[in-house]
Amino acid sequence: MSKAADKTSILAAVKELPGNVWKSIFRNPLPTNDLERSSTSFTNFFLHIHPVKVHKNSLRPAYTLGLGLISFFLFVILIVTGILLMFYYVPSTSQAYDRMLDLRGTVAFGTILRNMHRWSAHGMVAMVFLHLCRVFLTGSYKKPREFNWVVGVILFLLTLGMSFTGYLLPWDQLAFWAITVGTAIAGYAPIIGKDIQFLLMGGTSVGQEALLRFYVLHVAVLPAILTLMIAIHFWRIRKDGGLSRPADADPTPPMEMMGASADPKPVQLEPRKTYGLQGLVRGPLTKVNNIPDNTVFSWPNLFLAELFVFIMTLSAILVLALLFNAPLEEPVNVMHPPNPAKAPWYFLGLQEMVSYSAFWGGIGVPGVFVGLLFITPYLDRSPKGVGKWFSRDRLLANTIFISFVLANVVFVIIGTFFRGPNWAFVTPW
Amino acid sequence: MRFALAIGTFLILFIHGVVLYNQFSHKWERHQIAYFDQARAQAKSDAERAALEDRKPRIEQTVVADFGETRVARCVTCHIASDDPRFSGYQQPLKTHPYSVAMGDVQKDGRWERRHKFSEFGCTVCHDGQGRGLSPEFAHGNDEFWPDPLLGYATQPTWRKDLVPMLRGKEYLEANCAQCHPGSEFKGTPTVNRGMQLFYASNCYGCHRIEGMSDGTIGPDLSEVGRKFKIDYIYARIKDPKSVLATSIMPRFNMLNDEDIKALVIFLKSRKGRNFSETEMERYHLRATGGAELVQAHIKPVAINPAQMVKQGEQLINDRACTACHKLGAKDGAIAPDLSFEGLIREPQWLDAHFRNPRSTMPDSIMPSFRFTEDEFKAMTAYLSGLRTAPPAPTPEATYKALCLRCHGEKGDGRGPIAEHLDPSPRDFTKAAFMNSKTMTRLVGSVRKGVAGTSMPAWGKLLDEQQATNLLGYIQTAFVKEARTDLKPHTVPETNPVPSSPESIKRGQATFVENCAGCHGKRGDGKGPNSLDILPKPRNLRNAFFLETVEDKRLFDSILYGVQGTAMPSWTDYGFDNNTVGDLVNFIRNLNPKPKGGQNAGTI
Repeated sequence: MSKAADKTSILAAVKELPGNVWKSIFRNPLPTNDLERSSTSFTNFFLHIHPVKVHKNSLRPAYTLGLGLISFFLFVILIVTGILLMFYYVPSTSQAYDRMLDLRGTVAFGTILRNMHRWSAHGMVAMVFLHLCRVFLTGSYKKPREFNWVVGVILFLLTLGMSFTGYLLPWDQLAFWAITVGTAIAGYAPIIGKDIQFLLMGGTSVGQEALLRFYVLHVAVLPAILTLMIAIHFWRIRKDGGLSRPADADPTPPMEMMGASADPKPVQLEPRKTYGLQGLVRGPLTKVNNIPDNTVFSWPNLFLAELFVFIMTLSAILVLALLFNAPLEEPVNVMHPPNPAKAPWYFLGLQEMVSYSAFWGGIGVPGVFVGLLFITPYLDRSPKGVGKWFSRDRLLANTIFISFVLANVVFVIIGTFFRGPNWAFVTPW
Repeated sequence: MRFALAIGTFLILFIHGVVLYNQFSHKWERHQIAYFDQARAQAKSDAERAALEDRKPRIEQTVVADFGETRVARCVTCHIASDDPRFSGYQQPLKTHPYSVAMGDVQKDGRWERRHKFSEFGCTVCHDGQGRGLSPEFAHGNDEFWPDPLLGYATQPTWRKDLVPMLRGKEYLEANCAQCHPGSEFKGTPTVNRGMQLFYASNCYGCHRIEGMSDGTIGPDLSEVGRKFKIDYIYARIKDPKSVLATSIMPRFNMLNDEDIKALVIFLKSRKGRNFSETEMERYHLRATGGAELVQAHIKPVAINPAQMVKQGEQLINDRACTACHKLGAKDGAIAPDLSFEGLIREPQWLDAHFRNPRSTMPDSIMPSFRFTEDEFKAMTAYLSGLRTAPPAPTPEATYKALCLRCHGEKGDGRGPIAEHLDPSPRDFTKAAFMNSKTMTRLVGSVRKGVAGTSMPAWGKLLDEQQATNLLGYIQTAFVKEARTDLKPHTVPETNPVPSSPESIKRGQATFVENCAGCHGKRGDGKGPNSLDILPKPRNLRNAFFLETVEDKRLFDSILYGVQGTAMPSWTDYGFDNNTVGDLVNFIRNLNPKPKGGQNAGTI
């Protein structure tokens, strides 16, 4: 009798195995009601950094343009492809270039991995910068998001550092001379410039030491810092009350009694904050979805949007990687600099300015720009104009910012397309 | 949004499909399968057939560590039949590598045996190309970034289209043969050997250094030229130097035909700094001895018959590429002076000395010292001294065009076609301040007696006093364009009032370093830091021939009152007196020991 029962139960267990394993991993069924939607969000490790409910304004594509998410997903792609590339790469001047040839010619999926990594890296620099512009132009750095803006600026600089250190690793002419030019720009800093340059290169010229340093920075130091900073960035978004939004995006704050008579004190809900489920629970009952606000459940609205951005980002990178090969020029030849030797494109604005004045172009102007970026939220204390693109209240700040950005973009374009041998002006057509 | 999601997802799947397809259907697999099929069909035994049946396409490679850096040759992945004699009639890539007696292959019992086994040598050591690549484009080095494209077969898109036909051919492989077989008598590399002969016969060695072979210093060192440059670059540099580098001063060697240039390119391509056959000790010895005697060994001297001297001299001048720089009759290298009437403007002694060492008569000449024999120098001197036919020049203008224009230029601005190669540079006649501040006597003297130690020869045998005056008159109206005025007499001592003594020289040196070195250089060689921005260049005060002809009076005048139309200021304004200048003159005179021979002014 018991044997039969055992047999049945084992059979049943085997039969139910997939379902049980699934349920043990994902505790919630696909949500069908609001309680389950909330629960899904905060019982899943990957989803729990999201709020249960998200403000409708945060979901407006025209407001965020998804730039932060795109940057993050590019970072994820970079980590995955980068780790795979690390299996083949040797940071040695005698081997690095041969490894590149192997990746291009022999290693399975080597070309597509390298292409994806390359284009994602360029894309990430561009997207992070555009994200920074978005945040500035919508005035989103204002109270209470000042510090998250500072973290964002640090993330931007780290992204540049990641891209710059990775640029050297193929050890071809393009890499070698771009880094030679790039580190030379660092050398123009007053007093400590030469020391920074020496510290970066591990010598007076780009060589084996520089390659090793850049490799360690690229695969260990900078990614670790970047990951930590991204974590802080995301965490602060939650703690600062979600994405910025205009003041009129919320209804008038209601006065409401929360919970039973045990605590009759009225709780004023702060409309500028996104509440997690726990935040709403004051009494013995869990009340959901009875607060008059402009929020919707993250499942499925936010997650679907994020999935959409991810799919689009990945598709774009895959298409680029399929159509365009990452450049691989001649092996390094220390005696034959290309004419002109150009820094990576995002530093070409600096190089262009350096061609007018070494100190002001390479250190002075960019230093002032980055310094201004850092202290912007502490200089601009006006609470007006948050959450709107090109708000009239922010005409001055936006004008200054756009001028800086446009100047840099123009310099980058001149440096990229209009500079020929001896840095003379040429037309690309 | 869901629709877009679906499309995006489909796109991702599709691209994965494409990538997977590319990954698992390589062209080389098809070549290998074709090879297995053909080999099976030709197999003579079942065992052989069964063995082929088991073979699956895979990446084949040879790793060679014996020659320089480790080489990986994956060429046999496509060229899988390269060592299978049955495939000699097939198309590439399934063709057997040819067997050749010249390469040391031997036939034993009807079977060929290779001297250079692929397993020992790999492929790229002879052929170049990129051994790690598996696609034809990259493996053959057809992409513009690969430094060693398949020698003689692959060309790159950036190469000059008109040169491409000349850059193909299996002779180019000889450049790599010479890496192990460097001897100039080695029979397997006839083109390299011919190129080497041309390197000496065309006087390339006069300007270029190749370690162990030559020691020229004017042009770039070519010891590693084969490692640094691709053949298209070397070819274009020889064919038309200025087309590659606008500032190149290398002449065009017009007497070289395309085959000659090709041989030179192949020879130069074989110069890679070091070759596999030499030991460290050999290399050390080579470096220690320089290579001067090797040059001597390579140049084939011509036996000079005293009766035929002039004729043989003419032959030598034609054979040894003199007109690559100089003008002689119709041939014009457009770099150096006209030799067509050399006998009228230079003395035989001067010519002989100039041949042996150009800087012994003209301290700043760029002409290389060539290693000809005593007799050859004599024959060439004899020929040039015999060129005594003056060009017809009925009017002063025609005279200017025939004799002066090559250096002083069409506009008289001192920028004639060869001016950039002359040091000191020819006088700029448009600087009226200079021209009008010098006496007619001095100008006529410069024309008729020449300027010693410079490229300005004495025209006295072609132009008499009157003709020279007329010529200067033409220059005055055509270029100076300002009427001469009466010169104010300067008060300068006839001879240096300060007697030369070690103390005076020391004082002169102190003054010189303090006031003059900025332009004239610390050594007085005219190459001070400011000299780069000055035209005409500051005088080289170590040009002994020149200074010998300049009297103290003129030095005093130039220093005290400056040289109008140049950067030389009037130093009386800075408080110089006759004593200061006297010390300076003693210092300058002391820089120059008495020259031996050279252009002397009294030979009209």
